[in-house]
Amino acid sequence: MPSASRVLKIGAVVLLAVAILAFPSIAPNPYILSAGVLVLNYAVLSTSWNFVGGFTGYISLGHGALAGLGAYGTGLLVAKGGLPPFLALFVGAGLVAALAVPIGFAALRVRGASFVIVSISLVLILLLVFQSWASVTGGSRGLVVPRPFDLTRPEHHRVFYYLFAALLAVALLAWWLIDRSRFGLGLKSIREDEDKAEALGTATFAYKLIVFVVSAGFTALAGGMYALWFGDLDPVFQFSILTGSYLVLMALLGGVRQLFGPVTGAIIVGVALEYFKVEYGDTPLHLVATGLLLALVVLFMPDGILPAIGDLWKRFDRTERSSIREVTAAELREQRLAEAKGATR
Amino acid sequence: MPSGALLFQSVLLGLLLGGLYALLASGLTLYFGIMRVVMIAHSAFLILAAYLAWYLHERAGIDPLLSMIVTVPLFFGAGVLLQRLLLTRLRPATLTMMSVLLTFAIALLIEGLLGYAFTGTQRRINLGYGSASIEVFGARIAVVKLIAFVLAVVALSALYLLMKRTRFGRALRATIQHRDAARLLGIDTDKVAGFGFGIGLATAAIGGTALSLDTTIYPSLHWHWIGPLMAIIVVGGLGSVPGAAIAALVLGMAQSLLQIPLGTTWAQTVFYVALFATLAIRPQGFFGGRLAQRF
Repeated sequence: MPSASRVLKIGAVVLLAVAILAFPSIAPNPYILSAGVLVLNYAVLSTSWNFVGGFTGYISLGHGALAGLGAYGTGLLVAKGGLPPFLALFVGAGLVAALAVPIGFAALRVRGASFVIVSISLVLILLLVFQSWASVTGGSRGLVVPRPFDLTRPEHHRVFYYLFAALLAVALLAWWLIDRSRFGLGLKSIREDEDKAEALGTATFAYKLIVFVVSAGFTALAGGMYALWFGDLDPVFQFSILTGSYLVLMALLGGVRQLFGPVTGAIIVGVALEYFKVEYGDTPLHLVATGLLLALVVLFMPDGILPAIGDLWKRFDRTERSSIREVTAAELREQRLAEAKGATR
Repeated sequence: MPSGALLFQSVLLGLLLGGLYALLASGLTLYFGIMRVVMIAHSAFLILAAYLAWYLHERAGIDPLLSMIVTVPLFFGAGVLLQRLLLTRLRPATLTMMSVLLTFAIALLIEGLLGYAFTGTQRRINLGYGSASIEVFGARIAVVKLIAFVLAVVALSALYLLMKRTRFGRALRATIQHRDAARLLGIDTDKVAGFGFGIGLATAAIGGTALSLDTTIYPSLHWHWIGPLMAIIVVGGLGSVPGAAIAALVLGMAQSLLQIPLGTTWAQTVFYVALFATLAIRPQGFFGGRLAQRF
């Protein structure tokens, strides 16, 4: 007999899957459907981000650039290389994953701070290069990617909606598999205490690098899919520092330790972003709103919404008490400090 | 091959630019030393100070240099509050990562509010001495650039004297080197750290004033500054003020010289190339000590 909370969890996941799959049929107009595609794109991107952010605790603000690289890789291979669209998608993602090896090598050799610096620099340098190198990338005039299917606009949105949903399912499956594996355990030990993990023989550098490359690959796939869907690329939007910060905000808001955290966050933030764009247009206020929300999440809810809901549920459900508690190194430290304080008094 | 005069001019301009980079990078280094915080909002505050200088000049006709009387104490206070009220709330175990996000959020807030208040229009201060220049051995140097450099040098020297010669500077350096040991010696490390942050942000106020003298400003300009500044502190070694200053001068000079064959846009890439090369070859930077080893 599965416990009540487990039934509830499975129920919630099934409900989410049904809601995602049914959305195109109930969407009232093509605009809403295209917003749905955008939200799913964000969901794939933030889930891909969470391979690095969730498992290792290394926060990257540069995943927007990796998505942009995937988009431009796919777009250039189709528009200039003449490759079939979906072959170009996978070749593009492969190239980005290969490029992620030297980037990760430089960024991950040392601890946290340098990684963040490299991730931001990546966005800035790529924006510079793609804007200036107009002969190849089209520069600020943009790059037009031919459409893969000969369909009407609503049909086009519908097909890509399901393609993004499939990609999301694959990304979630990969995350889930890593989460349950020995590899995932090693990654999480890096998140909790990198020194101890290394001392216990975890190949921390190799682990970090592998998961960074996996994350980059998925991010590039999502970016390339976006290029095929949207059909028009502009460096200012593809290599925007904001994209990266949206992904972080989504993952943190939903909860980086949860499989469905980034998806939840992407739905909340993605819908809010679209709503904001419709209501207030393109004013600098969206920067203010993003900044405020990010600051509030970092200060008051760094573990995200899903754990908060979980805690709430546990208060009412007294049947489930696990014998081994899951606590983070930070919580343990705080607990020990509190005990030490109590002992000295 | 560019002529000798052009080269000389570029070297001088590189030196002047490097001075400003050095001042700003020293602020970033200070934050990192005190709390292991990469302060993304540093350059956003820089642009904010430039906007305040522009606004005061536009509305009240005050010389930008005089605006520092307002902005420097204001930013010092903001820095203290930022450290005491916000950064100390974060959990110690995830401080480095979360502080990046928090200061990033602050940078977005500043950029958005600046855009809202002053629109995205490019602004520039028109000074009486704005177009004046002096000749040094055949190279023309704009007076405003010279003023900015002098400002940077004075501020950096003051910072150096403060760190090396005063009681507070000793307490600050002790806090950076070993927080717990400093507390055992009776230093109120929380207070010192807060003041350290205030001083760091005050460098942004001075730098912003210097910047406003000869640069066209717009709200998203800070992204053009944070990249080079972060590259400088990594190349110099995270947490090392002299390292940051040397790296700032070297890279500023390199940028200025590379502008001759490559043009302004591609010359900027020198910072990122240096950043990646440093991390791949010598991750602790070229002047960083024990502190940089682990970050």
